[in-house]
Amino acid sequence: MPKKGTKSTKGTDDEPQQQQNKLPDHLELQRTRVICKAGAPTHTEGFQYSGAYAAMGVDTSVSVDKFCMNFKVEVKRLTEDDMEFDMIGVDASIANAFRRILIAEVPTMAIEKVFMVDNTSVIADEVLSHRLGLIPLDADPRLFDYMSENDVPNERNTIVYKLHVSCQKGSPRLTVKSGQLEWLPEGSQLNMAAPAQSGNKQKTYTSFSQSQKDISKESLGVKFKDITIARLGPGQAIELEAHAVKGIGKVHAKWSPVATAWYKMLPEVVLLKEIKDDDAEKLVKKCPVNVFDIEDLGNGEKRAVVTKPRSCTLCRECVMGPSEEQVRLTRVRDHFIFTIESTGALPPEVLFTEAVKILEEKCERVISELS
Amino acid sequence: MEHGSVTDSTASSFSIMEEDHTLANSVRFVLNQDPRVAFCGYSIPHPADNKVNIRVQTTGDSAKDVLKDSLQDLMVMCQHVRGTFDTAVSDFRQNKTAEGMDIDLNKKK
Amino acid sequence: MDSQQPEPVSYLCGDCGAENTLKPGDVIQCRECGYRILYKKRTRRIVQYEAR
Repeated sequence: MPKKGTKSTKGTDDEPQQQQNKLPDHLELQRTRVICKAGAPTHTEGFQYSGAYAAMGVDTSVSVDKFCMNFKVEVKRLTEDDMEFDMIGVDASIANAFRRILIAEVPTMAIEKVFMVDNTSVIADEVLSHRLGLIPLDADPRLFDYMSENDVPNERNTIVYKLHVSCQKGSPRLTVKSGQLEWLPEGSQLNMAAPAQSGNKQKTYTSFSQSQKDISKESLGVKFKDITIARLGPGQAIELEAHAVKGIGKVHAKWSPVATAWYKMLPEVVLLKEIKDDDAEKLVKKCPVNVFDIEDLGNGEKRAVVTKPRSCTLCRECVMGPSEEQVRLTRVRDHFIFTIESTGALPPEVLFTEAVKILEEKCERVISELS
Repeated sequence: MEHGSVTDSTASSFSIMEEDHTLANSVRFVLNQDPRVAFCGYSIPHPADNKVNIRVQTTGDSAKDVLKDSLQDLMVMCQHVRGTFDTAVSDFRQNKTAEGMDIDLNKKK
Repeated sequence: MDSQQPEPVSYLCGDCGAENTLKPGDVIQCRECGYRILYKKRTRRIVQYEAR
């Protein structure tokens, strides 16, 4: 006797392959889409747990094998500085984890300590130091180690920069740009308090045992050379040395490797009724990003069609007022359009790979804690 | 840190230091997919403390084992994501260079 | 530790910006323009800041 509520029209003994029953359409819509009404979105929580539709005989859980089979990535745009790609088949919690890690936990190099020798400019010392910290550096953080409090600054954990500019008396005002930061591959040039003690060895602020040129083939400069650091009037000068170390965005935003990284779910715009002529024109005009377009049907009739659903920003103009029943706005729950804008230290595809690696490391750490 | 009953290993709360929504929400999702799990959830007792509590109640297996399995599954998923992503990026780059070559051919014609 | 500080300190005139070295007991006046407000120069010690 069939159970009440099951849709098992095809007996499992007839077709042994078809073990899964399908959900009725309205439930399938609720399960896979977030419905965006004019007021507020509905069905925002996911129903993906192993027992959700057990009473109907439908298994909607996502085991690792199913995930690996259904997961897809489509790269839409990839340049040196940013990328846009689609992740299909993943849940919001994992997509969000990647976004959070990209912003806060992928390490970068940024200036941390500034040794001010001379600053007669109008920019205060600490303000100048703060600005230096925010300059994106063109250094691969994977080549460097973290530096803790007890560590000696050496070529493996510190990058040293020097800035020495002055504006001559009688010259016009000078703008100090980030390109004037000079990389010192041999280490610090500033001598520490005591004068030379034993022979010719002068103690500096870093202890480089070898030149950094051996560690990094490319020059470790700044990424953008036209960032204004300060402005100098005649007779003013800035002389400083800056040390850059490895860190993560959680500690200070200067170490965030992305300008930002964000995702949105794939928008789906469906016309529930045929919209013709004047209504069609009105609808096309309403949308600020041109999701709709007019299709001519021969004998003077026009019809509205959805041409670019991907650019929908969910402004809900098309569902406000009388056209609420004509258009259905939904978001596909497991299709994410990810955009990553890198500040330049690492290319965006490398950033994403690093972020996934960091999530794996977190899992490993907790597993070893539990064992 | 596991807080559970000595007699009943099917239900316990795990307190993990230095973690936040990033890992906890992902693990909660993976735990929900496991049919052995009767209940799972996470909470952050105070946002200033870097701690997260994950509660797991199972249908018979040890909660610790189920959590470990879920973490393993999450790791496998991450590795798969990385592999798929790398393939997609190299495919995209190949297609781009292929298109570039086609355009050049057209120009020559 | 010299209590009398024989090392001469140079100050900058507020008006013309000329350097004046003064010893303790000197009249506080610019040697070139006679302006009586002199500014002390910035320290030569290296100050360390955190770029935060």
